[in-house]
Amino acid sequence: MSQDFENRTREVLEESTARLDGRTLSRLTRARHAALEQARRPVRARWRLFVPAGAAATAAVLAVMLWTGQQKAVEPGAAEDLEMLADSDAPVFAEGDDLEFYEWAADEIET
Amino acid sequence: MASRALEQFLSSVEKRAFKIAQLGLRNDDDALDAVQDAMMKLVQSYGSRSSEEWRPLFYRILANVIRDMQRRRTVRGRIMAWLPVRDAEDDEDFDPVAQAPSGEPTPARRLELDEAIGTLETAIAELPRRQQQAFLLRNFEGLDVSETASAMGCSEGSVKTHYFRALESLRARLGDVF
Repeated sequence: MSQDFENRTREVLEESTARLDGRTLSRLTRARHAALEQARRPVRARWRLFVPAGAAATAAVLAVMLWTGQQKAVEPGAAEDLEMLADSDAPVFAEGDDLEFYEWAADEIET
Repeated sequence: MASRALEQFLSSVEKRAFKIAQLGLRNDDDALDAVQDAMMKLVQSYGSRSSEEWRPLFYRILANVIRDMQRRRTVRGRIMAWLPVRDAEDDEDFDPVAQAPSGEPTPARRLELDEAIGTLETAIAELPRRQQQAFLLRNFEGLDVSETASAMGCSEGSVKTHYFRALESLRARLGDVF
């Protein structure tokens, strides 16, 4: 008796599922493909999405430093310059119309 | 390949998953979003697990997604209640018969099935959330008690209780029809 009721409800739900319209079936297929596409994406590409720009800049500057560092010693203050160059949030000093002002300010500090 | 196995798995569960989400959310678009979200999370977080684990994991993720969407909807409903004009879409009652595919004139058997589907789905949609989950996972999806407990994040005893109460409630409501 109880089993009959359970079987009957299951049959009705299966029938309802079999009647899903084409639009719904198409969207389910697209959802599945999107999920699988995410899995197929190379690990390297996903990793790259999370690397902050500052870290990438630091790596580049360090590579240049190591490349040239064998010829001459690192000058005093270079570490601060390096940090500033690697800081992606810092203002871009070397661009725009204020370059002359920054050169003048640097001269003033030295004198 | 794992990817092929995943595709076969997702393909095998997607229609029933949609039906479960549709009954829980009473909205086709939300149900599709929930299924896609669950698929994404399964592939992303558990794709490397053994395929035997996927079904209970998938339904657990789906249940969590549905619950979160229901909660967001409840909060949104409370906020909308304070506004002078309510969104008509939020007030629409779910009508499974109206949402069933329409088309050419149907024979008597088809009409009978339409009516049975509408009546059953309305009754299931109105069950308490945990009873609804237990009923759909056990009866419709065919998970055993252990898998259902894993999917629902509760004990096997709780699954049996929820399932029994769901059956009693549905039988009391649909006994004459079924």
